[in-house]
Amino acid sequence: MADALRTQIRDFILQNYLFTDDASALALDDSLLERGIVDSTGMLEVIFFIEEQFGVKVKDEEMIPENLDSVNKIAAFVEARRKAA
Amino acid sequence: MTHSIVSALREVAARRSEAPALGRRDWQWTYRDLDTAKYAVQAVLTSRRRGSRVALLVRNSPQYVALYYGVLAAGCVAVPLNAAERASVLARQIEHCGAELAIGEASHPEWPKLRAAIEPHGVQTLELSISQDCAAAFIEALGAAHTAPESYEPGKDDLAAIIYTSGTTGRPKGVMLSHGALYSNATAIIEYLELTSADRGLCVLPFHFSYGNSVLHSHLLAGAFLALEDNFAFPQVTLQRLQDEVITGFPGVPSTFALLLGRCRLADFDLSRLRYITQAGGAMPRALIERLRAQAPGVKIFVMYGQTEATARLTYLPPERLDAKPGSVGIPIPGVEIEVRREGRAAAPNETGEIHARGPNVMLGYWNDPAATAQVLRDGWLSTGDLGHVDADGFLYIDGRSVEMIKVGAFRVSPQEVEEVLAQIDGVEEAAVTAIPDEVLGQAIKAVIVPRAGVELQVMAVKAHCRQRLASYKVPKVVELATALPRTSSGKVQRFKLAET
Repeated sequence: MADALRTQIRDFILQNYLFTDDASALALDDSLLERGIVDSTGMLEVIFFIEEQFGVKVKDEEMIPENLDSVNKIAAFVEARRKAA
Repeated sequence: MTHSIVSALREVAARRSEAPALGRRDWQWTYRDLDTAKYAVQAVLTSRRRGSRVALLVRNSPQYVALYYGVLAAGCVAVPLNAAERASVLARQIEHCGAELAIGEASHPEWPKLRAAIEPHGVQTLELSISQDCAAAFIEALGAAHTAPESYEPGKDDLAAIIYTSGTTGRPKGVMLSHGALYSNATAIIEYLELTSADRGLCVLPFHFSYGNSVLHSHLLAGAFLALEDNFAFPQVTLQRLQDEVITGFPGVPSTFALLLGRCRLADFDLSRLRYITQAGGAMPRALIERLRAQAPGVKIFVMYGQTEATARLTYLPPERLDAKPGSVGIPIPGVEIEVRREGRAAAPNETGEIHARGPNVMLGYWNDPAATAQVLRDGWLSTGDLGHVDADGFLYIDGRSVEMIKVGAFRVSPQEVEEVLAQIDGVEEAAVTAIPDEVLGQAIKAVIVPRAGVELQVMAVKAHCRQRLASYKVPKVVELATALPRTSSGKVQRFKLAET
């Protein structure tokens, strides 16, 4: 389940920002910003993706790098929010 | 003595040595730190000949600022590179301006590739880590020489910086800015924004971009404090800083404010100390301005206009005229003249023509490109390539562009540059790009590609090819495959029709 979630998030980023299916292009802990993969408008799209795909509403105060700046961080955030729900 | 941003910073540093100059979230550099670090950079470069170009691939940081001012103080020319750009493009710019030295940030994703591309051609490189925040660590890493550098006093027409803008791979466009241009534009901005040493700005705009560059110099010359933010991916974090760090001024481009108002509520923050907001980098929809005003009541909003070829700023709309002159970019800044021309003569009020500008901030020309320079600089006047009109009260309005150019966010993109990259793809018969409207960025890029007969092109592979060679914002958002491009009877591609297909 957790792995499926990570794969889904990684695939979204690979296809929409790196334009590839090659999973080796993005490590799960890679910083999306430091590596220049996602920019400011891209991050907004990532947030929309999380909300639509996983049915998780991202609150204003949750839009911080600690929740969103890597595949693992996004997955952990989505899991925590699902448990809390 | 000629005034320059270097001599002005020296005076500010002497007067306000203990005052904070630049800061990130949890630490700051004082003016003394900045001056000392700048001096160390100057010492390292002191043996270089005057006018030698030094390229910088360093993201917004106090270290970047020390490098920039140190390069100028040493009599060299700063070439700040676009940190969003790819190594192949940057290598071509370094070759084009004949830089002898490139200084790069070790953790920048493109730096290793850039080094590998330029070192074989004899360009020296200096790699710096800027992860450590204090000025002393930076100075130590520079390995500064112990000889005191000579003091260099530039003339006002001496070349200070080259900013590359919207050229093509084959023909990079390097805007040459003089010491006099940088100084005069910064002081004019200080005057109309009424910047003082009590001001505290927050800058999310990259310094390699003329707007960010002008925010930097105007704050330092005013002896003010400038808080730095690496990116604008988390507007919430930026808003928190506006509150916590008691920020008085916030510059942005239309997409900055679209993102800021998109998901966040400004009312949740105490922004009572915020004195003004500036907006440049393309037209901002009126509705967005109104939302910004409603959410930030009492904050002065300065709508402004300019371009890299004019250092940064040409006009501003006094905030109290925002209602009287909706849609206007205002009046010339101190020292600048604006003239709208139509068929070679000055246009009448309200008559649309090409906007021309004259003033001490106008560029010296494009580096090593007299033909391109002659096209836009004549008798001291700069043809901006923008169409506009001036009303009976002398207020300027922008009506469009006479030159083909796409503006993604606030960044200019030459359609030819993207088309060159598309044409390299195996199986592409021909390709053309155009602008399509984008809710956040104002414009996005659409590519229409005609594949060679019998070739099946994958859209994702086309985008991947572009991403490897172009900054992300230049990658077409929409890629459409077609059997032919729309053309006029004379065979010219009709870009405006590409958006419709």
